[in-house]
Amino acid sequence: MQKRSIISTLLLALLLALGSTALLADSHGGADPRAGQVEQAINDAEAAREKAGSVDGEWRDTAKMIESARKALAAGEYDKAMKLAREAHQQGVLGYEQAMSQQELRIPSYLKY
Amino acid sequence: MKKILLTCAALILTAGFGTATASTPEEDKAAWDRFYQQRFPNVPEEDYNNGVYTIDKVGRENWEAIEEFPPYEPFIDAGREMWETPFANGKGYRDCFPNGPAIAGNYPHWDKETGMVMTLPLAVNNCLEANGEKPLKYKKGPINNILSYIAFESRGQVVNVEIPGDDPRALEAYEEGKKFYFTRRGQLNFSCAHCHLQTVGMVLRTETLGPAKGHPTHFPVYRSKWGTVGTLHRRFTGCNKQVRAKPFKAQGKEYRNLEYFLTHKSNGLELNGPGARK
Ligand code: HEC
Repeated sequence: MQKRSIISTLLLALLLALGSTALLADSHGGADPRAGQVEQAINDAEAAREKAGSVDGEWRDTAKMIESARKALAAGEYDKAMKLAREAHQQGVLGYEQAMSQQELRIPSYLKY
Repeated sequence: MKKILLTCAALILTAGFGTATASTPEEDKAAWDRFYQQRFPNVPEEDYNNGVYTIDKVGRENWEAIEEFPPYEPFIDAGREMWETPFANGKGYRDCFPNGPAIAGNYPHWDKETGMVMTLPLAVNNCLEANGEKPLKYKKGPINNILSYIAFESRGQVVNVEIPGDDPRALEAYEEGKKFYFTRRGQLNFSCAHCHLQTVGMVLRTETLGPAKGHPTHFPVYRSKWGTVGTLHRRFTGCNKQVRAKPFKAQGKEYRNLEYFLTHKSNGLELNGPGARK
């Protein structure tokens, strides 16, 4: 029981760390017209956000990020939009994972029964 | 870098877990009482209704000075006026709450008829709607006036949340609230219990983390940060947002069940609202 919770926390931590490197790796320059790709990324992010929300795991800023990604896309700022969409997607995935890892109520051992 | 720090924080807060066997509300209450008693052996039981000022000595001095000219007073007066002003149909709050205005001690309670946790703000809006009036918003605005007045008139009543045994749905609602309290949320991956139980007494930025026991006794609360009086569910919203979780709807099922569970942990404490906080 205890081991499982530690493993899931570690996993989540690892995912968070991976998430940030993935974002760094993505920030290359250029203004190539990638509207279609960005739109797909935004749709993926929206789906991930909704999935997290369906288990009460949505994070605070995900919807705002998707909103900003849409605006950036409309303004032709594809790199910015893609970055935001990827981060929002990541948040949706992590929020879902987090909620799923907490399905079972576990009373901390510092509370003595 | 920031993410790495957060990850570390999340890791540090990984506590061991006890048994997963179900505990009764009475057992939960006893376990919380024991926990805080051990953590703060010198705090008298009846002092917990002062929230964080139970344990923050410096903050307490500032707070006591503020209480000499309570910032929530105008809200009590405005609420009294609401209480005394008839609705368009000639009726008033008194018709809905014949024992009022000192009724805060009856909430939250399990409402068998509707099969849900009934909170005071919800009862206020039910009263308004039953009389053809527009319901009030649940976080900001005039609902805080009527709640301030009722809280003030209810001072000295003792919290006594019951989980009736004759309706299994009541225990279910309680259990949902409990689950909520111990569930990690948001980008920071904290549960309510991480801040208000496990690391209680520690300082987060400029704020001392207060014990959860006694949290709901003094709502609504005037907060300097808000510059006005706000409801308990507004505070829940803030505490969800600060761990970067999406908050839930004020007076929705999640927060009502949370309030039910949390207020039960204050059973035996005197109501002392409205309160004043940083
Ligand atoms: C990151 C830490 C943190 C987490 C997580 C957190 N809170 Fe808080 N909360 C605070 C701080 C700091 C305060 C202000 C000091 C105090 O009163 O404890 C506060 C205040 C409160 C208050 C107002 C107390 C008063 O006397 O006015 C309530 C109620 C509350 N929290 C409930 C919750 C609930 C319910 C959750 C879970 C949804 C939660 N908190 C999660 C940090 C946290």
